[in-house]
This record gives sequence, C-alpha cells and structure tokens, in this order.
Amino acid sequence: MYDSSKPFIEFKNVTKTFDSFKALDNITLTIPQGCFMTLLGPSGCGKTTLMRQLAGFSEPDSGDIYIKGIRVNGLPPYKRNTPLVFQEYALFPHMTVKENITYGLKLKNTDKESVGRRFDEMLKMFNLAGMEQRFPKQLSGGQQQRVAFARALIMGQEVLLLDEPLSNLDAKLRVEVRTELRQIQRKLGITTIYVTHDQDEALSMSDLIAVMRAGKIEQVGTPWQIYFKPENRFVADFVGTVNFMDVVISGLFEDRLLINWQGSAISMNRMDYVLNPGEEASLIVRPEYISLRPAANNESADQENSLRGEILFYSFLGRFIRYWIKVKNQTFIVDDSNPSLSGAIEGEVIIALDRNKLHLLRNSKS
Amino acid sequence: MAKYLKKEKLKEIKRLGNEPLLLLTIVFIILFTSCFVIWPVVRLIALARPSEFLVLFTNSRWARSLANSLFMMVISTVSCTVTAFIFAYTITRLDVPLKRFFRFITLLPIVSPPFVVALSYILLFGVQGIITKGLFGLHVDVYGVFGLWVVQTVTFFPYAFSIIIGVMGKISTNLEYAAYNMGASRWQVFKDVFWPLCRPGVAGGVLMAAINVLTDFGNPIMIGGDLALLPTEAYMQIVGWYDMKTAAILASALMVPSFIIFILNRFWVGRRSYVTVTGKEISLTPFKPHFLVKWGLFTFCSIMSAFVLLVYGSLFIGAFTRAWGYDWSFTMANMGYVWEKFREVWNSIKYAALSSILASLLAMVLAYIVQKKSVGINKFLDFLAVLPSAVPGMFLGLGFVIAFNTPPLKLTGTGLIMVLALMFWNLPTCYSASIAGIQQIGESVEDAALNLGADSFQSFKDVILPLLRIPFLSGFVLSFLRSVTCLSVIIFIYSPRTTVGTASILGLVSNGLWGAAAAFTVVLISIAFSVLLLTNRFLRKHGGSLNL
Repeated sequence: MYDSSKPFIEFKNVTKTFDSFKALDNITLTIPQGCFMTLLGPSGCGKTTLMRQLAGFSEPDSGDIYIKGIRVNGLPPYKRNTPLVFQEYALFPHMTVKENITYGLKLKNTDKESVGRRFDEMLKMFNLAGMEQRFPKQLSGGQQQRVAFARALIMGQEVLLLDEPLSNLDAKLRVEVRTELRQIQRKLGITTIYVTHDQDEALSMSDLIAVMRAGKIEQVGTPWQIYFKPENRFVADFVGTVNFMDVVISGLFEDRLLINWQGSAISMNRMDYVLNPGEEASLIVRPEYISLRPAANNESADQENSLRGEILFYSFLGRFIRYWIKVKNQTFIVDDSNPSLSGAIEGEVIIALDRNKLHLLRNSKS
Repeated sequence: MAKYLKKEKLKEIKRLGNEPLLLLTIVFIILFTSCFVIWPVVRLIALARPSEFLVLFTNSRWARSLANSLFMMVISTVSCTVTAFIFAYTITRLDVPLKRFFRFITLLPIVSPPFVVALSYILLFGVQGIITKGLFGLHVDVYGVFGLWVVQTVTFFPYAFSIIIGVMGKISTNLEYAAYNMGASRWQVFKDVFWPLCRPGVAGGVLMAAINVLTDFGNPIMIGGDLALLPTEAYMQIVGWYDMKTAAILASALMVPSFIIFILNRFWVGRRSYVTVTGKEISLTPFKPHFLVKWGLFTFCSIMSAFVLLVYGSLFIGAFTRAWGYDWSFTMANMGYVWEKFREVWNSIKYAALSSILASLLAMVLAYIVQKKSVGINKFLDFLAVLPSAVPGMFLGLGFVIAFNTPPLKLTGTGLIMVLALMFWNLPTCYSASIAGIQQIGESVEDAALNLGADSFQSFKDVILPLLRIPFLSGFVLSFLRSVTCLSVIIFIYSPRTTVGTASILGLVSNGLWGAAAAFTVVLISIAFSVLLLTNRFLRKHGGSLNL
C-alpha cells in the first residue's frame, strides 16, 4: 500500500508547551508516502496539536517538521498545501456547496475549465450531484461532511489531514464513511494523517497507528502490532479491552514459556521474548481469546491453561456475551462470541486461555 | 505562572513586528481612541483642582443635587426593574393575549428621544393637560420628584427589560419541571429555581436602569422643575453662567457612580450572565401559574402599555393641534415649522449616519483583533472599546468642548466634532454587536480558509467580512437610532450651523412651543421607526434579527 522507504512527513524532536502544559514532548515520527497514519489517543494527548503544527496553525517551541524533505517551520498555513478536514467541518456558511469546494482553487487562480472538471470529479466521488447551489445549513450532517472532504481533496495535494472527521456522525453512518474513506485514500494513494480517539476507526482504517499519551508517542505500529503486541500497559488498555495478569516466569524452553499465575501454570509460545526465570511480568489476555464452558460438579481444571471460576455478571450484546468471571482473586472479562440461543451460562465455569494469542509485557516497560 | 504569562504576552507583542499592517492598525486605534475618549475625560476632570471638588459637599445646592440624583437613581431603578421583570415574565412565561403588543411597547421608548415621555407627560398632566385640566379641571403641579419618577420609569424600564428577557428567555422550563417533579410548590420553584437563575439578568437590568436614570438629562430638564440634579445643574452652570469649572465638577461627580456601575457590570454581572445552560434541549411549555397571578400580571402590563400608548398618542395629536389646551382644531402649521427647519432634521440624519458608519467600522476591526488575533494586549483593547459606556453622554460632550476648543485640534462648532462625539459614544454598542457576530463564526472557519491557501487578508475579506454583514448592520442601526434621538452628548457641542433635531426640541419646549416640539419629536420618531422596520424586514429575509 505504501512505501516505507520514502518518508513523506517527518516530525523531529517537536515540543510544544501551552503556558506550563506540555502538549507535545519531544515527538519524533516519520510518515511514509501513501501511508494512512492514525494518531490515536485520549483527549488532551496532543494528537490534534501535532496535526496543527503540521498544518501551520501554530508553531512548535522547538523541533523541526519536514514535508517531502523540505523544512516547513515558520511557513504560514496558506503556503503549506496541507488540506485539512475539520472535526466540525468548518464549511463557510455564506458560500454554496460549489463555492465552498472550489474556494481553494479560486485562490490559486486555477483556470475555469479545470476548476469545473475537478469539481465534477468531486461531485461524483462524494455523491453530491444536485446540491451544488445549496448552502451548508441546508445539508444533512453526512452531506456537510462529504462537502468538507471534497473541499480538501479537490486541491489535488499529496497529503490529507483529517481531524476526527467522523465524530459528528451517527454510529451507523460512521462505519459506512470510514470504509468509503479508506477506499478513496487507497485509490488516490494520498498520504493521510487521521486524528481520532476511537480505536475501531484506528484499527479498521490505518496502515500505521501512533498511540499517544500526554504529549508522547507510546507506540507506532500496524493495527496488528498495536492490538496483539502492545508495547506497554497503556497501549494494551487503550486499544481494546484487556485482562492483565501479574505473573512470574517459571521456565524457558525451546518452543514455549512456562509462567506461574497465583500457583497455576500457564504455558505460551516462546516467540522472541527476552526474559529470565523468576522475573515478574504482565500477561495480556484479550477477552475474545478465552473460551469458557460450564464446569461439571467436581471437575477440576486440569487441561492446559485452564482455570476454574465463577460467573459474577454478564451483559448480552447481540454478537457476543460479555462475562465477568471471578478466578481466584481476580475478575476476568471473557467474551463468548457464540452465545447460545437459550441464554447466558451461569454458575461455575472452566475458562481456557489460547496459548497462541497470549502476550507478555516485561514489568520494567510499563 | 504570572511571570510566565507576562513573558508570553511580550512574545506576542514582539511577534507583531512581522505583521506591520496589524501593528499599524492597533497603534492607530489606541491613539485615536485615547485622543477622543481618554483625553476629553482627563481634561474635564483636571479642570478643577482636587480640593475644589469639596464644594460638592460644602455648597448646599450641589450637595443637594448629588443627594437628589442618587435618590432619583434609587427609586427609578427599583420601579424600572420591577416593571421590566413583570413584562419579561409575562412575555416569556404566561399564556396571555397581547404579548406581541407588549413587546412592541417595550421597543417604543428605545427609538424615541430621551425626553419624549416628559414632554408628553406635560401635555397630559401639565397645567394645560388633557387629563388634569380637561378631564378633572384640576390645576396641579406635575413638575418635581413624582412626575420625574413616573416619567423615568416609563422611559427606562425597556432598557432593563431587554437585559432581563435575554436571560429569562434562556432559562429552560425543564429545570422548573424538575423541581415540580421533586415535589416543590409553585412558590418554592419560583424562589429556589427560577429567581436564582434570573438573578444575573436582574442585576444587569438594575445596573442598566441605574446608569440611564443617573445620567438622564432630557427628562429632568423638562419636568424636573425645581428639583436640582447633577446633569441639569451642570447644564445650567454653562448655559446660564458660563461657569465651565463648576459644570466640570458636577459632571465629574456623575462620573464616579457611573464608573462604579460600569465596573460592576463588566466584572461581576458580565461574568455571571453566561452561566445559563446552553445546548439544544426541548423545553416544555411553562407550568401554569395561579390564575390570579397570571391575570394580575397581565393587568399590570396592560395598564402600563395603555399609558405608553397614551404618551405617544398625545404627542401625535399634539403635533397636529393648533394650541394644546386652548384650541384643539387640526393644523399642519407645526409640521410646516418642522419643514422650515428641515436642515436640522437633515443634520440629525447626517451626523447619525456618518458617526454610526465610522463607529461600526472601528468596532468591527477592534472586535476582530480582540477575538481572533493574539496581540498581547487583547484585554486592553477590549477595555478601550467598551470604556465610552462608562462615560455619561453629557460628560463626554462637555469633555469634547474643553479638549477641542484650542489648536491643534480646534473642532468646536464644526460638524466633525458632532460626528466624532457620537461615534465614540456609540462605539461600545457597535462593538458588542460585532463581538456577538464574531463569536458566532465557528472556531475553525478562518483556519479552514488559511488551510486552503488564503492569506490573512484574503480570509478576512472572503470569510470574516461576509459573515459579519448582519452584525455590522445591526450595530449600525442601533447606533443610528441612538444618535438620532441623542440629546445629552450634543447639548454642549452643537453650534447654530450644526444644530440637530433634539436640540431644537429642547429649545422649543423651554419657550413653551409644545405643538412644534411635538411635531419635531414625531418626525424624529418616524425616521427612527422607519429605519428600524426596514432593517428588521431586511434582516428577517437574511435570517438575522436585531438585538435591541
């Protein structure tokens, strides 16, 4: 999809403080050409600030920003060619759809013919035919949003910035638009930076995700890396739901690891963890990789990675049932993605952890 | 932290060096405003030595005027606020007929010269009054405290009303229902929920009424009689004795409470009134009050409105009556007189229009800089823009006389001084209209323009300016209405050549020419009202509304 050898946008040691609040703390990040990069994090983590530094709405206190190898620090926003789709769209209320979309081209004194041609392309791409003469307030939220996309994309730039553009849409439309948006991005091969706090959006759309917290980047990786191999507890917890188990490494073998959790042995694939026996670590288990079945009266959990527990509570969500299960002195969240028609399981259960999907974090790293 | 903030401000100021146009604009605005607001005020206060201000307490006449002014301020403010509250409550909360009519009644005094009610009150209740003499054959003295109190209440309750209804209209009825739901009685809901939420509006209304009553010149000069008040005494000192110094001392005494009210309004009420709940929620229709309360309030509003109608009606009839009280036959002679003096009406329009255009332009640029640019001194510029509202109109006028009667800026007697005085007097009105307009423009709309390749100037021209058309217009119109009907600011600075309608009316009244005065007033009100109606129609077409 993208060429990781060609850096397109680079942030080098970018720091920005507001009053005494450190919004960006020595950020270094490279975005390859054609890549869909998502900045993911809770509100206040600096993701929007980072994007605004790139668009030139504010200047970093220190550090450099490069676009295509050219340093853009100090360049005013109108000279950066970084079209941005704003969270609240920021359509010009006094201009029609056509005037809104073509405003940027008009400023560049583009000739009429190519303005018309490119405008027609946008109408088609975003399904806006027939709305040319409407004003923003005469459009629905979804339509306004498509106008905002068209206004940014018509500029024909090699980069597109998106600041939580889907957050004002209702849930169903949001899922539709994100698929559409990703298809358009792939077709055009446009380098895209996408700011969001929504992990579903990040996982479903991105080539790369940078998870941010408190002005710092916690991890950069593909959605798979972020989800299955989070580098610290924050990333693991922020993306998806997770069970943390405090474990001690008890044995290292060629193909597997043996760990001890509150007296129970758990085994997992060896992979390339660098660990020492006796070391404390966190085991990360996603709720969907724990299976469960009702326990027979006196059955003990003696198969591999099995534990006996008791269901405390459940919540039926349609495609799965989420259980809260007490095992020893910890409560596990377990998702059963194949709920029975007759209702939820109750009482004593045996849960089993999938040894292929377990992930270990060295405690020093959290 | 404070030190850090200071450093940040300095950084912003230094950055202005990169934007010479902006820097130049700011310097110009500061110099211009200092020259025509601060300088006149300083000159006027500096006219008398500090020790000479003691006459305010030692001279029994001045001490009495000070006490009288404050007394009138208190009683008229109370009556204005109560009336305004009842009107606002009736219009927003009660299911009664005539609500649109009540609303209209509250507009009338705002588009009228400040002495209309006094003038009409004399026609109704004076020596030749229809009601006193005609109906009851009485011979009463209406001049004095009671007459002035009634007149000021009718004149100024609409100002308090416009503030109170602004706050009251935003209080969601859901909150009251929530209280009823928890078992509160009507009185408890009023006392515990509704009233506390109204308080910022009422406080704002009180201050608005107080400052208007205190600095009112038109009504006391016509109906005050022997009652000595600061504004009228200051006027007498100049017109009768050419005693600039005493006038300055009296006017300065006005400045103190006026400034206190300004500060209170800005830093206390101003901050509180935004606490109201915003956001889209569906409000239920208000809970029905007790029927006695409902019809009692309705009756009050009806009587008050009838009185206002009577005031304006008698003025209108007076304009077409040969000799009020003696000869009731119809005549166009008064209108003919106005026609002869048409130049004065034209002056009114000309100066009002010019000063309002200038004030709106200055206000818009100021508002844009204060709201959208970080220039380090935003707060100071904001203060500068609203400062004239702390200066009573008459004080500003007097300041202009003293500050600009000698070279290098010898402006006395010119049309320019009229325009400048009205312009700065109206600056805060236009400024708040522009601020409201700019605040409605989405946070990132201007960023979007920059992002698409528009530079600062292009984004101001293509985005900000078109979006400010409606606030600009409403600021302009409000300022125009205020100027056409203004007396206090211009009373000291007009010359025979630059005299305006309101000044002539004052002259006519003091010569007892009621008919001509009424005709003149009717003409001014008609002009003001036509402008108001035209603008309202235009704005409604474009989805805006005039916020009086």
